[in-house]
Amino acid sequence: MKKTTLQKSVAVALTGAMVIGALTGCNSNTANNNTETTSKAPETTSQGSKTEETSKAPEETSKSDSSAVAGVDGWEPFAENVTIKIPVYDRGKEGVPPVTDNYWTKWIQENFGDKYNITVQFEAIPRGDVLNAYTLLAVGGNLPTILMEYDYPKLAQWVDDGYLTEYSLDEFAQIAPTYYQRMVDNNQLEYTELNGTTYFALAERPYYNTNYTYITWVRMDWLEQVGYDHVPATRAEYLDAMQKIKDAGICEYPGGGSMISGTAGVDQNYVYRDLDNMTGEEWAMYGDYAIPALSWEPQHKLLQFANEDYNLGITNPEFYSLTAEDATAAFVSGNQYSWSGYISGTMDTLVSFYEQNPDAKLAVAVQSLEEDTEAGTVPAFRSNNPFGMMIGFSSQASEDQIKAAMMYMEWMTLEDNLFTMQWGVEGENFTYGDDGLPVSVANYSGDYTQGFNNSKDYWCVTTEARIAGTIEDVIKAASPVGLPQDFTQDIIDNYYNQVAAAEKGWVIPDCMFARVISSVSEYQQTLLDKYAEYRTQLTTCDPADFEDLYAKYAQEYLDAGYQEIADERLQAYQDGYSSKLEK
Amino acid sequence: MEKRKAQKPPIVMAAKSKNPMGFLKRDWQLYLMLIFPVALVILFNYAAYPGLRIAFMDFKAAKGYKGSEWVGWDIWVKVFKDKDFAVALRNSLIFNLADLVVGFPMPILLALMLNELRYPKFKKVSQTILYLPHFLSWVIVGNVAYSMFREYSGLVNMALMNAGIISKGIPFLTEKNHWAFTYLLMGVWQGMGWGTIIYLAAITGISGELYEAAMIDGAGRWKRMWHITLPGIKGTIVTLLIMNLGRVMGSNLERIKAFDNALVKDYSYQLAVYIYQKGLGGGKLSMSTVVGLFQSVVGLILVLLADRFAKLLGEEGLI
Repeated sequence: MKKTTLQKSVAVALTGAMVIGALTGCNSNTANNNTETTSKAPETTSQGSKTEETSKAPEETSKSDSSAVAGVDGWEPFAENVTIKIPVYDRGKEGVPPVTDNYWTKWIQENFGDKYNITVQFEAIPRGDVLNAYTLLAVGGNLPTILMEYDYPKLAQWVDDGYLTEYSLDEFAQIAPTYYQRMVDNNQLEYTELNGTTYFALAERPYYNTNYTYITWVRMDWLEQVGYDHVPATRAEYLDAMQKIKDAGICEYPGGGSMISGTAGVDQNYVYRDLDNMTGEEWAMYGDYAIPALSWEPQHKLLQFANEDYNLGITNPEFYSLTAEDATAAFVSGNQYSWSGYISGTMDTLVSFYEQNPDAKLAVAVQSLEEDTEAGTVPAFRSNNPFGMMIGFSSQASEDQIKAAMMYMEWMTLEDNLFTMQWGVEGENFTYGDDGLPVSVANYSGDYTQGFNNSKDYWCVTTEARIAGTIEDVIKAASPVGLPQDFTQDIIDNYYNQVAAAEKGWVIPDCMFARVISSVSEYQQTLLDKYAEYRTQLTTCDPADFEDLYAKYAQEYLDAGYQEIADERLQAYQDGYSSKLEK
Repeated sequence: MEKRKAQKPPIVMAAKSKNPMGFLKRDWQLYLMLIFPVALVILFNYAAYPGLRIAFMDFKAAKGYKGSEWVGWDIWVKVFKDKDFAVALRNSLIFNLADLVVGFPMPILLALMLNELRYPKFKKVSQTILYLPHFLSWVIVGNVAYSMFREYSGLVNMALMNAGIISKGIPFLTEKNHWAFTYLLMGVWQGMGWGTIIYLAAITGISGELYEAAMIDGAGRWKRMWHITLPGIKGTIVTLLIMNLGRVMGSNLERIKAFDNALVKDYSYQLAVYIYQKGLGGGKLSMSTVVGLFQSVVGLILVLLADRFAKLLGEEGLI
């Protein structure tokens, strides 16, 4: 009898455990619960966050903006706790704390959230899979309170898909006056609208018409070995240097290479454009970096060069199966001539590079100011948007949540908070130099370890650069430290050359449309995938077959939607719904 | 003890019980445990069915079901007019049929061979080694394939070149026909060991007396295999074949992605890729639902037809 009872109890217990286990898995709210129980927010009730989110006490909660005083001085805590969700990129980097729960997320909660009865949660967005991540969140009704991205077309698509809601600039100016005023000062208000409705708030991007944070390093020691005392600036020099490096047996495939990913921004063709003769129409139709312009002459030229590099044996013949990480690894292990990346105080790639190649010498490929008439190229590049993050408010968020999100944006903009987020704790993450400016501690790791690139993915909600004085100070602050070589001056030189290039008209913005180009949402992904395929075929084909193959793929590309996009863009341009090309 | 036995003659009790739900009372623990798997099946296989309506809607994720418009068969028409869909459909059908032709007989042959092994220990070890690939994810299998079969730096090509057998690497993974071959063979390698389990189980069900009788009659190994083992597992083979036919429209994204590269898109562009890229990548959930539903419906029709066909041939069938 006892045995049976025991069996029964075990059966019941097991079944219960299984059912509970399964139900826990189905609970979409686990994240909320976790954060709420661990958060120390006073008076934060630990249950029913859903109802709180859509709190229905307008009279009470409207306190936060009913005050006549604009900005932080007029803020009062919400009567009922409001939960906001802020997206943060998860870049899958090692050596940084988990993006949604670390010292700095807690610091934000304590210094901002707890003060105003707001629970700040962070939603990790995989950097390489942004659209997918937001789609899945939208389907589950879990969109973060604000949605943000650097790419204009993505925001336009979100508007089209109904993810974003209209917001009032007046209300924004009342709650977040510092943020708002900066948008006014930076002439950003014209970008807040799409289809005549206000959707976007815009973060600041200082020095936006340069790419001073994106630097290419090359193997100067190799160049010196083959008789170069400078970084090749023309195509002819480049090919010559690569051939010599190959012939000298220094590196088998100095050009390296990796597969073309099906994402926006691949194969930018600014260098190959005929800037004197480029018309505004052409620019509007093809001149953006979100979709590669296969079938447009500059892209043709780019692909020709890629084909040449491949057939000369400069490119790794297996590039199509190598990821960007493989290419970085090749550089680190001394099997690739160059590597490009965004600068930050601690750069793992460079640290590892010097560990592997202690005697190596790198050089920054400083922006050239000479046209390469022989190759028919100009050292042009894409001007960034005159804004950093574009931020929209979720259509699934309540009024209070949107208010709280605006408060968050303002709070992050206030200098003290921003400074701490950017620099960390004095004596730990940074120290003050002789000039009174902060200097990051090289390779810091400890309790206060910041997120990737000095926690940029948190403070990008307001700006793209650290507070540090002049541009030179900014670059000094952002330059990699703790390496055998110091690149600060080169990076500064590169900046000034980019400014000079801008003055020559070589820095070209993309056309921005003030109405949704629906064919872009329709065909962009298909085209990006097709481009990855065609590009690889065109790179690896016999040079004799190149032209025929190019003509074939260009036509297929146009048929697959690119023609439709070009037509719709042209229409919008002619109707006056876009920015204009300035010459 | 005896008293207790007299009190509880289970079957008789149930039969005599006036309460029609008496069986529940008697075996409630078993039913309680049954709830769990049944709930899972309902949750994961049926609870999503109402969502299928988005195949007939212009579904916008942020607006939900209520906010999205009904558009009838528009999305279906759009999908079937899409050239990429035709390519994906063609590739899926060709590769799945090829998989079936190459992959289906392998576990049967292997099971027959394993069954003939005389040393139990050797048999066990072989089986374990054969099962192992099944437990590797496709990502790992794909990476192994790339390390082995790259054109320039792959192990196989390097070995062949060093041995002087070939002068130029064989494009196992970069020329589409070679790729198809590699893709299919890696599939067989990964799945065949695991596939033998069910056949081996069926073989153990065959009466040993049959073999003894055949041996007395002078039947050799081949004869026994052909006349006893194979007919003995025919029912299992037919059942599995019918089930596999249901997958002819299916497609495995993980496997394709693991082997994919930009040079073989002609063949690697299959329905799973279409669904993933157009649906998730492009945010067109209605379109991917249409394709998914289409796959399932065709799969179901194939299973039903195959079942009917099997019954016509005098087999037991599935349903």
